[in-house]
Amino acid sequence: MPTISINRKDFEQLIGQPATDEQIADWLPLVKGELKEQDSKTGELRIELQDSNRPDLWSCEGIARQIRLKLAGAVSPYPFFKSTRRPTRRLLVSPGLEHVRPYVAACTAVGYAVTDEGLAQLIQVQEKLSDIFGRKRHTVSIGLYRLSQIEFPVHYDLVKQDEARFTPLGFEQTMSLSEILTVHPKGLEYGPILAGHELVPLLRDKAGRVLSLPPIINSREVGEVRVEDRELFVEVTGTDLSMAILTLNILAVNLADRGATIEPVEVDYPSATSLGRAVQTPLDFGKLQSIPIKTIETALGQTLDAKTIQSALRSYGYEVSAVRNKLSVKPPPYRNDLMHTVDVAEDVAISLGYERFEPEMPTQFTVGSLSRLEQVSDKIRDLMVGFGFQEIISNILASRLELVERMRLAGSEWDRLVEVENVMSQSYACLRQWITPSLLRVEAASSRAFYPHRLFEVGEVVIPDPTDVMGSRTCTALGVLIAHAGANFSEVHSCLDLLLFYLNQPYTLEPMNHPSFLEGRVGRIESKGRTLGLIGELHPETLEHWQVSLPAAAFQLEVDALAEEHKS
Amino acid sequence: MADTSSLTSTLHPLEIKVLTALYQHRLSTSSSSQQALREEQIADSASLEPSQLSMAVEWLLTKSFIRVDSEKVTPVVSLTKVGERYFEKYSPLERILSVARDAKQTGRRLTIQDIQAREGLEPTAMSGAIGCLKKEGAIQIVQGGYVEATGSPSPTAESLRALFRDLRGSSRELDSFPEAMRQVIEQHAVRRGNAKEPFRVDERIQRWYVLTPEGQEAAQALARQGRAAITPSSGSLNLTEEVAGLAEEVSQLTPELLKDGAWRTKRFRKYTISLRPPRLAAGRRHPYREFLDQVKRKLVSLGFQEMRGPLVETEFWNMDALYMPQFHPARAIHDVYFVKEPTHATTIAEPFLSRVAATHRNGGETGSTGWGYDYDLTRARRLVLRSQGTAVSARTLAAGPQVPGKYFSIARCFRYDQVDATHATDFFQIEGIVLGSDITFRTLLGLLDLFAREVAQARESRFLPAYFPFTEPSVELHVRHPRLGWIELGGAGLFRPEVTLPLGVDVPVIAWGLGLDRMAMVALDIHDIRDLFSTDLEMIRTTRGHF
Repeated sequence: MPTISINRKDFEQLIGQPATDEQIADWLPLVKGELKEQDSKTGELRIELQDSNRPDLWSCEGIARQIRLKLAGAVSPYPFFKSTRRPTRRLLVSPGLEHVRPYVAACTAVGYAVTDEGLAQLIQVQEKLSDIFGRKRHTVSIGLYRLSQIEFPVHYDLVKQDEARFTPLGFEQTMSLSEILTVHPKGLEYGPILAGHELVPLLRDKAGRVLSLPPIINSREVGEVRVEDRELFVEVTGTDLSMAILTLNILAVNLADRGATIEPVEVDYPSATSLGRAVQTPLDFGKLQSIPIKTIETALGQTLDAKTIQSALRSYGYEVSAVRNKLSVKPPPYRNDLMHTVDVAEDVAISLGYERFEPEMPTQFTVGSLSRLEQVSDKIRDLMVGFGFQEIISNILASRLELVERMRLAGSEWDRLVEVENVMSQSYACLRQWITPSLLRVEAASSRAFYPHRLFEVGEVVIPDPTDVMGSRTCTALGVLIAHAGANFSEVHSCLDLLLFYLNQPYTLEPMNHPSFLEGRVGRIESKGRTLGLIGELHPETLEHWQVSLPAAAFQLEVDALAEEHKS
Repeated sequence: MADTSSLTSTLHPLEIKVLTALYQHRLSTSSSSQQALREEQIADSASLEPSQLSMAVEWLLTKSFIRVDSEKVTPVVSLTKVGERYFEKYSPLERILSVARDAKQTGRRLTIQDIQAREGLEPTAMSGAIGCLKKEGAIQIVQGGYVEATGSPSPTAESLRALFRDLRGSSRELDSFPEAMRQVIEQHAVRRGNAKEPFRVDERIQRWYVLTPEGQEAAQALARQGRAAITPSSGSLNLTEEVAGLAEEVSQLTPELLKDGAWRTKRFRKYTISLRPPRLAAGRRHPYREFLDQVKRKLVSLGFQEMRGPLVETEFWNMDALYMPQFHPARAIHDVYFVKEPTHATTIAEPFLSRVAATHRNGGETGSTGWGYDYDLTRARRLVLRSQGTAVSARTLAAGPQVPGKYFSIARCFRYDQVDATHATDFFQIEGIVLGSDITFRTLLGLLDLFAREVAQARESRFLPAYFPFTEPSVELHVRHPRLGWIELGGAGLFRPEVTLPLGVDVPVIAWGLGLDRMAMVALDIHDIRDLFSTDLEMIRTTRGHF
């Protein structure tokens, strides 16, 4: 889903070899990536990454890692995930945060002097992870700091909004937390995440220096990373423990890939989490899975030996061992997207390349057919075309103005509609409950098309129905409209009469009142005690509302009812 | 001066008609000052075509049987070719007004440049028309340079329309129009330096003719010889069969002529068959329907059954049943339309709800870890407008489909998108499923190959890894389209067990979707996705499909 920028030279450094355009095109399927743009002058590549469950790929480091694995054919593990020594640095979580923003994960990265491109990637991955994976910082947000400015332990506290002041990024002077939330652009943008909480989260060091107000903004003094910085502190706060840890894991391997040494931090919670009270991060929470080789073969429809599958998975980042007919697999620590064996099967196919699989035609015989409703709809379309009518296809979304007000239906029994709650445009705010307004919309826009106008549409409408489980029914209806200097009831009636003759549907017309039509020139189309539709000459005021300057007559028929009746 | 009787013997039937008409007129009027007849009057009473009349008049003038009595110069208006075109396709002024009024109704905002580009008008034609409409108060230019219809009528537009109608195929004297219309004509008449106007004002010279004494003698001689029957009291003129038979030409074969065989004695006027014929208001399927019908037929021929579903859906069938977690970014308010009232369905069918809920929470009985979050049963009942055709597939899976089975739907779907040339707010999605014990990743590729060949007529295709929340493995199908080059034709995959098992299906299922809008737009030669559902009848009538 995200589209990211990477620098070609940086990418080549990370994979450890130069890359031609063809090679890049060949490799991108490994990351479900598509090259959107490329600037040969600056070396910038814009790549769209499809998989919303693979945030580890949303950076140059991530893409390069997946490709490097393929080139190397095996995994070189990250040692800091296996570290057994208790971390020297700790982060202490205060009670009460479980109701606001309970979790935090952190580590340090030293020994890598941040480069221009490294900083650009750091900023980009931070943005993509917190925006898309972290749902605009709701579930996950990230802070990066200059380690040298921080005295451990760091405290993750819950404080009153006037309890602390600091200078946020982008400002010159210190501000109180409530000022940041009401004045700072980031406060205005992300403040609503903390809405309803009197106490807000705050990260401070041992000396009381503020690191940041998560998930809003970092301190300018401690939290502004620059090119050439060699010592970083990284933290991720959030509402979901495994997502926060996964995010930190990704940042940690990215920095490690650039040469940093990662030191874990121990996070101490006031009460037990699903991972205990003291959680050391980064943390490899991947589990070993045992998968029968047969399962993968069946899913892919291809016989593959254990060795082929093993090497495919290894060169895709897995730790794998084979025991008899089963594989024992563990995904890399920067991934947490494997829910089922089918996910592993897909990774095997991607790693081998889809072109390795010979397409095979499904062999089982099936009989094709159209639904009854579509058959009748088609028959009606054929007849109407033969009668000289032009078919119309309309948007089903329309406005109340068009469906009700212009049709003089406000306050009548026909004024109920299914409406959209989150309206984007008033023109597309309601589902049409009948087709006549759609045809009038065409008529109103077509006064310069030569006459006569004879229009029809067979399409879906949505009828509000409080007795239905869903509160409405989707029906298929035929709408017919004629407009020309001599258009009248008799002409549409002739058309209706002939149509129902061919559909073998005896009917009667019962006089009725309907505000859209002229009184005394409108009727219900009835058949066997059931109403099939209505027919009439449009009321001059209806036509005026639509700015239609020629007489018009119309009818509408329920096609669903006809489809039931039409079974012969 | 030759002998009149010898002269009369050489007279052409057309000349006889003209002489007789003038003589007839002379006999019926007492005053000598009113003896002259205008060309049209002669043509009328002698039943002559203009060309015949002018020939006969010329000959009679040479023979000095008639002379010009008086002359009058009259301005006459007619339509130019531009005018004829404006009658059918409307003048720039009318089009601008119509576009502005349409825009007002649909809430769109158009600048002068937008209108000019949209209507393909020339800058000079634009500025004149805009100026005129502004002056009349029919439009105004509001802040931002947007052209806005005021709702007031445009007398010029109305006059133009009336004039096009009146003048089509015939000309009229300028003075027969009221003053206001005369002004419109003069403003829009062809003159030097401006040839592209709809009206032409020509000076027509009208002449009145009278019989010379010789002519009068000849006419009398004719009457005596019985070659022309003169009835002094009535206005009617009875020519003998000789004269009538020679001259009569008919334009239309009538039932009467056929019945009594009289067509044998007639000559039929020759047509100028190179002229464009009048347009036909015909019945026709919508061009986009023709495209969709072709796809529909193709899918049925490949063994697919049609399936249908409701436009208003629950989040359950639209997303949950497809294993899209309730926190999935594409489920947010910015992607899906929510129903205002009622907000929720009353129930979701069991056992599907419980099974899907368990699958989201911890994988349930599907062998999956699940998404591991607190599945919200109320949210499942939330009503939305169907955002993907796959919702129809989910319902079909739950309804006990045939195995083996193939299904498709052409489903109207809705997305919360700003409408523009490439984004529609409601649109058709073509998608479906294939169920069978023989379904694997390779048969998935086989099916997509089939679509590439049969639906897109593509000889080359390729498969790329893709991501959809409900399929694994997932594939994108790219084909080399004969006109577009490499395009993405569709997405597909094998439904995750988290989708099929809770709905009661225990064989592998292919889910596929084809993105055919772009192909449809190429086939219909349109460049704006909104035009697939155009409200412009002229455009619908004139769009051809290239399938």
